[in-house]
Amino acid sequence: MPALLFADEVVLKGAGKLSGRIVEQTDTMIKVDVGDGIIGVPTSRVERIVKGRSPLDDYDERASRLGPQDADGWRKLGSWAEQQGLSAQSRQAHEKVIAIAPDDPEARQALGFVRLDGRWVTEEESYRARGFVKYDGEWMTPAEAQMAQASVAADQARRDAEQRAIEAENAAREAQVRADEAEKRAKEAEEARRAYNPVYWGGWGYGLTYWPAGSYTVHR
Amino acid sequence: MNRHGGSLGHCVLPPVVAALLAVSVAAPAATSPTVDEIVARYVAARGGMQKIRSIQTLRQKGHLTTGANRLALVTRELKRPGRIRFEFTVQGVTGVYVSDGLNGWQVSPFDGSADPKPLPDEVVKEAAEQADLEGPLVDWEAKGHQAELVGRELVAGREAYKVKLTLKSGAVRYEYLDVKTLRLVRTDSTRQFRGYPVQLVTTYGDYKKVGGVLFPRWVEVEAVGRPQRTRIVVDEVEVNPPLSDARFEMPVPAQP
Repeated sequence: MPALLFADEVVLKGAGKLSGRIVEQTDTMIKVDVGDGIIGVPTSRVERIVKGRSPLDDYDERASRLGPQDADGWRKLGSWAEQQGLSAQSRQAHEKVIAIAPDDPEARQALGFVRLDGRWVTEEESYRARGFVKYDGEWMTPAEAQMAQASVAADQARRDAEQRAIEAENAAREAQVRADEAEKRAKEAEEARRAYNPVYWGGWGYGLTYWPAGSYTVHR
Repeated sequence: MNRHGGSLGHCVLPPVVAALLAVSVAAPAATSPTVDEIVARYVAARGGMQKIRSIQTLRQKGHLTTGANRLALVTRELKRPGRIRFEFTVQGVTGVYVSDGLNGWQVSPFDGSADPKPLPDEVVKEAAEQADLEGPLVDWEAKGHQAELVGRELVAGREAYKVKLTLKSGAVRYEYLDVKTLRLVRTDSTRQFRGYPVQLVTTYGDYKKVGGVLFPRWVEVEAVGRPQRTRIVVDEVEVNPPLSDARFEMPVPAQP
């Protein structure tokens, strides 16, 4: 863990912000430890820094007061971290609970375990046991997977046909299409590389279509 | 059934049965209200048209979960006409997604960039659907949508009117309104996701009034045939908070 400089909220120009601990600040880059990795943003993108305590500081302070066998305290802290949107800290606290009390239902459920045939299994094991299959990085019923596969195949066939027409029409255009396809494939490969967890939006809002990967990298 | 209460196909019936049917069809109001009547009662149940129309801006804050250790703080802001700003905070990192119905932009540090970028057209289209502050059933005709009562179904053990809503965009969704309370309890819709259609079932609950209008405090989205659920618990609803137009305008990218 990098040495703590101070806890702050880094407000980005226009929109967006990072809440955590600034671990490095230069003329060109600010790096923030968000509690599950470090994010770097160019200084030119930063509107202002609001100094103050971050929920991470509160978590650390509360954790430092808990004894290693205080299952109830760790459970409450895990629940509090969840309310703050601190997934990593919530996970950490609930893992402490099951180290003390392996059958604690609240901690097990918070960590995604499911009771199956009298034992705790992971979310993925429960999906498999319920007959779901993983297609394109996502769990679904075999029927849904078949439909998705057929739909993608039909879409690919349509695109292939379009591409053939374009090839016949314009060779130069074909090169561009190939470049676009390659870019698209690279993008898809990048998406697949990330821990892929879709987020579906119904009638309330919209936003990310996948859950961000747990570990962040520095933006250059 | 159509918006006027129902239709019967052509068939030959014994005279007694036909006579009984004629009686029941002649007095359908108690059992088969029209879609207009249902929507009117739905609007009244929410707080009434006057109160709904008085809402110019709206801010809702809540928690979103979509499986173990996938937690987010979410805030959505809406402003007439058709503007929506959605903030999504995971592990201290906040991304912003904005649409005015025609154009959209995002600042999404999760995607490796802190710069404002335009939203893809298909996302703007989807966002426009979400940006209807009062929901598509309110004034559906004036908005260019088509509504049709297609029957009744059980939703979580309670009977609900099933209304087919064809949006002006051509998208079709089904709205389920509880027969007794006339509250919206479920929406079925279809989204294109990575090249294939996904059926979404959104359920609503824990309604509470703010500013005289009912809002759901609990929303769950299920993708049919998938095990995961996206759940949103709404902690706070603000009616008519000050929201400047600038919050919905795309910021100028910073110069390096």
